[in-house]
Amino acid sequence: MFTLIIADKKLEKQIPNNDYKIINLLKELDMPVETVVTKKNNKIVIEETLIEDDDEIEIIQVIYGG
Amino acid sequence: MKKCTQCGSKDIIIERKHSGQRLCQKCFIKGINKKVLKDMRKNKLLNKGDKVMVALSGGKDSVMLLDILYTFYERNIIDLCAMTIDEGIADYRKDGVDIAKRHAERLGIEHKVVKFKDCFNFTLDDIMSIDSERGACTYCGVFRRWIINREARNMNATKIATGHNLNDETQAVLMNYLEGNIENLTRIGPKTEARNEKFTVKIKPLREIPEKEIALYVLSKELEVHLAECPYSSSSFRGEIKEFMNQLSNKHPTIMYSLLKGFDKMKPSIKKDFTNEFTKSKECVECGEPGSHGLCRACVFKKEIYNNIQK
Ligand SMILES: [Zn+2]
Ligand SMILES: [Zn+2]
Repeated sequence: MFTLIIADKKLEKQIPNNDYKIINLLKELDMPVETVVTKKNNKIVIEETLIEDDDEIEIIQVIYGG
Repeated sequence: MKKCTQCGSKDIIIERKHSGQRLCQKCFIKGINKKVLKDMRKNKLLNKGDKVMVALSGGKDSVMLLDILYTFYERNIIDLCAMTIDEGIADYRKDGVDIAKRHAERLGIEHKVVKFKDCFNFTLDDIMSIDSERGACTYCGVFRRWIINREARNMNATKIATGHNLNDETQAVLMNYLEGNIENLTRIGPKTEARNEKFTVKIKPLREIPEKEIALYVLSKELEVHLAECPYSSSSFRGEIKEFMNQLSNKHPTIMYSLLKGFDKMKPSIKKDFTNEFTKSKECVECGEPGSHGLCRACVFKKEIYNNIQK
């Protein structure tokens, strides 16, 4: 399980496999990498970062599309 | 484990796919500062003794711009002030205006908030509540430019600095090209020329910095910014271009850099052939601001809006 923080909401989510990265999560949410900054346990990280048990992952949308 | 290509730290916050560069927070901030200063020198954006007015919205671009220009102010190279426009957008604009105020206060610089309502007697919400064929961004842009020009003179600024980033610039190039507005293309660049003594020179120190890196910079430095989306932004042609460019950049990460580079190379030729004569004597008969026709665009729009409100 990990915690996802997005748009002022906090959700508990399952980790589907042990190679689950932030970029996989972004794809599921249909959010292009170019439009967000991501944090893991309150530190800015790159999207290739692995999501592990008990992590807190925050997605901050910084660019809005058309 | 991926490491910072500068210092070897394992806490990297950005990977530039096109160059293979990976950076930690510290090296990223250092590098981007250096890049902006280099661009500013290259384009001779500042002179010693300039008084720079930052068009400070409270969004990430202008907050980063203020942060960087403040280092020049600290070293006594320039004088610095800021101006924030309150367009009057309910449930949206106040947060940004308050953030702008707090930054100016924190840095101890002269700051002014100017409201559409006080200048024109209507807000952007009022404009959008009446039927109009133009989009919100067109009105907003024209009225904002009008206010910025006027306030720069009121504040005795010698330069106006705006937070336009690489995404904004490439969108502007593409939009004007697609619409065939070649004369508008001649005005896109790091620094405007003062075509009229009432115009203050505008500079864009961040025009080669991608929007995402600006967001990374302000979040890394924990600068307070307003990140919410303007409620009127989605309906514009610019929005379509933005989406298109984002999609393209995903697959081709250098596309914005090459577009702007190519454009900057072409620009002198376009300028030579397409600059329309803008004589010094032309001033708006209504408000006195410089313009190319009898009435400036802001006054033309104002008339339209007053007429529509009365209907
Ligand atoms: Zn480093
Ligand atoms: Zn006018």
